[in-house]
Amino acid sequence: MRNAVAFIAAACAVAVPCAASARASAVLDGGTIVFFSDTLALVARDGATLSLSDGTRARGDAVYVDLKSDRVVIAGHARLARGTASAAADAIALDLRSERVDLLDAASGVSRTTRALGAPAAAEFDAARFAFPDVDDRNAFIKSKHAAITPHADVRFSPAAFPTSVGGVPVPSYLYTYATGAGFAASSLSGATFDQPYGLWGSPTSLTALHARWDDGPGAALALQQQIVSGDDAYVSASIDAPVRGYAVRSFTAYKRLGTRYTASADGSATIYGSTEHAGLTAAFGLAGGALDYRHASSGFSTFDASLRTPDRPLFGGATWRLKGIVGFDSLRGGLLTQLPDARRYATVWRHGLDLQVASPLIHAPLKATLSSTFGAQRTWYAFPHHFDSLSASASASRPLLRNVTLFAGYQGQWSSDVFPNAQAIFYPTPATPVLTPDGTPYYGYTAFSGARTFRSQNVDLQFTPNRGGSTAFRLSVIHTADFPQYNGYGRPQWEARADAKFRPFPNVGIDVGRVYDFAWGGTRWQPRWSFAITP
Amino acid sequence: MGRDALAATLELRDHAMTHALIAAAAAATLFRVVPLACEGDRLVVAGAGVLRLAAGASCAAVTPGRAVAIALDADNRATPQKLTPDALPAAKIPRAAYVLAPAAAADADETQLVTSTIDVTVPPRTPPGDDVYISTERSSWSPSEVRMDRVDARHFRLVLQLHRGARVAFRVTRGSFGTTERNAARALPAAHVALGEPDAHVVVVVAAWGDID
Repeated sequence: MRNAVAFIAAACAVAVPCAASARASAVLDGGTIVFFSDTLALVARDGATLSLSDGTRARGDAVYVDLKSDRVVIAGHARLARGTASAAADAIALDLRSERVDLLDAASGVSRTTRALGAPAAAEFDAARFAFPDVDDRNAFIKSKHAAITPHADVRFSPAAFPTSVGGVPVPSYLYTYATGAGFAASSLSGATFDQPYGLWGSPTSLTALHARWDDGPGAALALQQQIVSGDDAYVSASIDAPVRGYAVRSFTAYKRLGTRYTASADGSATIYGSTEHAGLTAAFGLAGGALDYRHASSGFSTFDASLRTPDRPLFGGATWRLKGIVGFDSLRGGLLTQLPDARRYATVWRHGLDLQVASPLIHAPLKATLSSTFGAQRTWYAFPHHFDSLSASASASRPLLRNVTLFAGYQGQWSSDVFPNAQAIFYPTPATPVLTPDGTPYYGYTAFSGARTFRSQNVDLQFTPNRGGSTAFRLSVIHTADFPQYNGYGRPQWEARADAKFRPFPNVGIDVGRVYDFAWGGTRWQPRWSFAITP
Repeated sequence: MGRDALAATLELRDHAMTHALIAAAAAATLFRVVPLACEGDRLVVAGAGVLRLAAGASCAAVTPGRAVAIALDADNRATPQKLTPDALPAAKIPRAAYVLAPAAAADADETQLVTSTIDVTVPPRTPPGDDVYISTERSSWSPSEVRMDRVDARHFRLVLQLHRGARVAFRVTRGSFGTTERNAARALPAAHVALGEPDAHVVVVVAAWGDID
């Protein structure tokens, strides 16, 4: 845990100076500023002014900033000033990252100068320089009055009103990041039902953000995340997730591409109950590949795996197969096989295994139905009289019922057996007293458990899309699981029913809302849950 | 549009329009333009050049940066009009109408919402009940930003409404960063791009997931 905290502190210490060094190079003000996230367009009206970091000041009836190309157009009574020099025109075009300034006079045409505003010279009329978007303010993603722009990094809006702002009340400040480093997709936070990031500081290579989160179980949470990226090749992300109820989770994840063949990664998390860390290396050899993975927990347990996999090879009729070989060990301070009197002799147990996977192609059946399936078989041998077998199968099917209604069905099953020849009863003894479920009910069926497990689930979904090519969809789902051992309160709920609706009440905001019921689980008749997401 | 209705919709704040002008405007085609400036008898149109206003027409109804419609008379002189949905884009204005024009006109019509379709093929070992999402820079790369619609056993689809000219980078996930797509080398792929062009179509084949080799 101390390591995780130290890591986060170090990451923040590096990131804050990075962010601070990326000063805004342009500040846009206006009675109204509208921002469109898909086109990265900023339009200011009603007394629009633009201030550049070199002292250049511009004003006009309207100002457009194209954040994709760092292009600015000042429209209507346009005026540019720098020091004592100034220029006026019907429209002015300039760049945030160059000195070029184009002046358009409706009577005399276009002339060109620099930001120093020396004597302009006649120039060719470049249409693209004076393109001004035809936007509808009602579709804006953010409305504001002040925008501080750091090119190719971010824009800070003060204040910022979103289409989803409650009662139209804006937040005092909002940092919109549009830096293109792929590592900004990386997050060390676990998935949540709702996660709204709120940028605090940013630069082209770093972002510090607060996250307002909500998830089933811990409920509302506030998280702080620091991301540092290097193009598409490397990133590190560290976070603290502090729910209102429950315990905080500190975590990090890091990734580095090593040439075209290799990648290195590391991640870890820590709670009041302990910490886990993982380091990995992957390699690609054509379509085949290999991986090294090491995991360690504060409990003293660790594992190591070295694996090689073949590419997917054709089998017959479009089906493919793939084989993976794994060598590794499990280790625990004090001994792994605690059931044995000489457990300390087995602090580290090596193992090797084979994993065969077969996948069918997408099969087009009659009635426009489709079917896809996979099968897997795995055996692991240990350096001790012990082996672990696993079989798995999955299938997905779809069939259109009506033009806009489609039925989907899925099946997933896994059967595993943990075998200790001549010692099964030692490692899976019959409990002397009945195992109790969380609500206190005895689970007598557990006495039949002797190392063989079953996980099976079936799902049926009915999807209704009112208009093809639209963004509205409704879905009803039923999921049934039949696991062994499975008892109320542990494992997966036996039945789950859910309804989802996805729609766009406005052109610039989408809603995805779901209601879920878990049945026959946790000693209650059902447990309802909501899922909710707002999409751009 | 009838003459009375047209007259009622015209912005006639500080000038008088003759009946002849109304009749001519009613018969004319409307063009949707974004004015950059309007002074005297000159109207500067975003990206395309400078038009001459018709006699009697004024700049009163013109706000720089805010779209407006214009009608051209027989002499290719412009009269500002109230915007209607059937107005043609500025690119359709005859070249001869400009008193000052660039060498090549720019397509500045970014108000149009176009549909961009993303089709995703998932690997066979994708769990049957899992949802598939796209994660974009619009949400600071939230891994569960927009849920895709399932098409069949191995395909998902999402139709985005984008402004024309938009460029949205995205990745495919199963709802969390740990389940983000991987390429054939099991590395994070470069982001895909959905473009705001009419009937734009992006096809993505996911080689593997972050949590399923």
